[in-house]
Amino acid sequence: MDGIHDMGGMQGFGDAVWPGSEAAVHHPWELRVFALNMLSGLQGLEGGDLGFRDRIESMPADQYLESSYYERWLWRVEQAMIAGGTIEPNAVEEWMERLRRGEEPPASSDPSLATRAIEELRKPYPLAPAADPRFAVGDRIRVRRMRPKGHTRCPRYVRGASGVVDRIQGEDHLPEGGGGGARETVYGVAFSSRELWGASEEDTWTVLIDLWESYLEPEGGAHE
Amino acid sequence: MSDHDHDHDHDHGGAHHPRPESEAELRTRALEALLVEKGLISTDAVDAVVEMYENDVGPQNGAKVVARAWVDPDYRHRLLEDGTSAIAELGFGGAEGSKMTVVENTPGVHNVIVCTLCSCYPWPVLGLPPTWYKSAAYRARVVAEPRAVLAEFGLEIGSDVDLRVWDSSAEVRYLVLPERPPGTDGMTEEELAGLVPRDAMIGTAVALQPEAAR
Repeated sequence: MDGIHDMGGMQGFGDAVWPGSEAAVHHPWELRVFALNMLSGLQGLEGGDLGFRDRIESMPADQYLESSYYERWLWRVEQAMIAGGTIEPNAVEEWMERLRRGEEPPASSDPSLATRAIEELRKPYPLAPAADPRFAVGDRIRVRRMRPKGHTRCPRYVRGASGVVDRIQGEDHLPEGGGGGARETVYGVAFSSRELWGASEEDTWTVLIDLWESYLEPEGGAHE
Repeated sequence: MSDHDHDHDHDHGGAHHPRPESEAELRTRALEALLVEKGLISTDAVDAVVEMYENDVGPQNGAKVVARAWVDPDYRHRLLEDGTSAIAELGFGGAEGSKMTVVENTPGVHNVIVCTLCSCYPWPVLGLPPTWYKSAAYRARVVAEPRAVLAEFGLEIGSDVDLRVWDSSAEVRYLVLPERPPGTDGMTEEELAGLVPRDAMIGTAVALQPEAAR
């Protein structure tokens, strides 16, 4: 979806570096949110037809901009568990009230779950090799114009642009529609800065981005 | 004005409507309490994941990969040919690192990594991403004005350098192999790893000079 998360090329966000921006986490709760996101997936606590990123992208744009990174993850995991029927919509608020009144949260131990979580995070899920690539390294392609309603990995800033296939990365499920789509070849495609942004005082550089085959058409080969 | 994914306790001039920080912390504790109460997760499993990313998974892993590539030409070759396998030789891999591509900086080429759509980042070798990497400003700007962004990190990349910006839009994750600094011939692999800051493996910095590391 063409949401606020698709930020490549936007202006008005200020400096890239500011005091404190070097840190990966600022508060202990952020890592616990990270862990809750990992465990909810492992334990199958989520529902609905949205994938991880689709769900975050479904956050209203103004809320997205006002939320910190792990606030988005916190919102995501709670929404996904509500969608899965794991928790009731007001259950977290009830526990917040109990904690405000000074109730101690419960603690529990399940060493086998802890072990499974670590094993899962260490497990590789390599891409399959590309079985039948339509394009070859060096081919000139153009990115299709589109305006998808749901999740896509084709950012706005490359749509309509011409580039060159730099490498074939492998084969992966199309991320559209919750990520269960057909497998397609994924290409690393190189774009010149002039093609993407026109002339610039920084001339020139190259942007390389990984794109699924159905995002691409041969340059000059398609009639639309 | 500006949106950074910073926390709200050091607002720096943006037109934010900060919620109290404790709200997110309280909500996190409430969610964990709820799931533990229901028996769906355990406190020690949350602790284990937290400890893994606090202690075991971080840029110290990537620095070992870089140092090995600096001292072992065969390893460097394997790393650039098949990053995933070469990194696995040192025991690193897993979530957000299943398909690794390593890109090499040279005197004429500089590489820098971004994820414009979210915050994709090679966890097994670099840990969890810094706040600036997840910020709107970095994600928006580094594909469209990379030299200006890198200058904010204190890195000047001349117009004669082939500057390559990698947007990790699919499941491939990228690691930059920085140039080995001069004057490091007699150093051990472990000492060399100490010259490799996290940002040098993202491409917003270069490796440290030996005197700067002391």
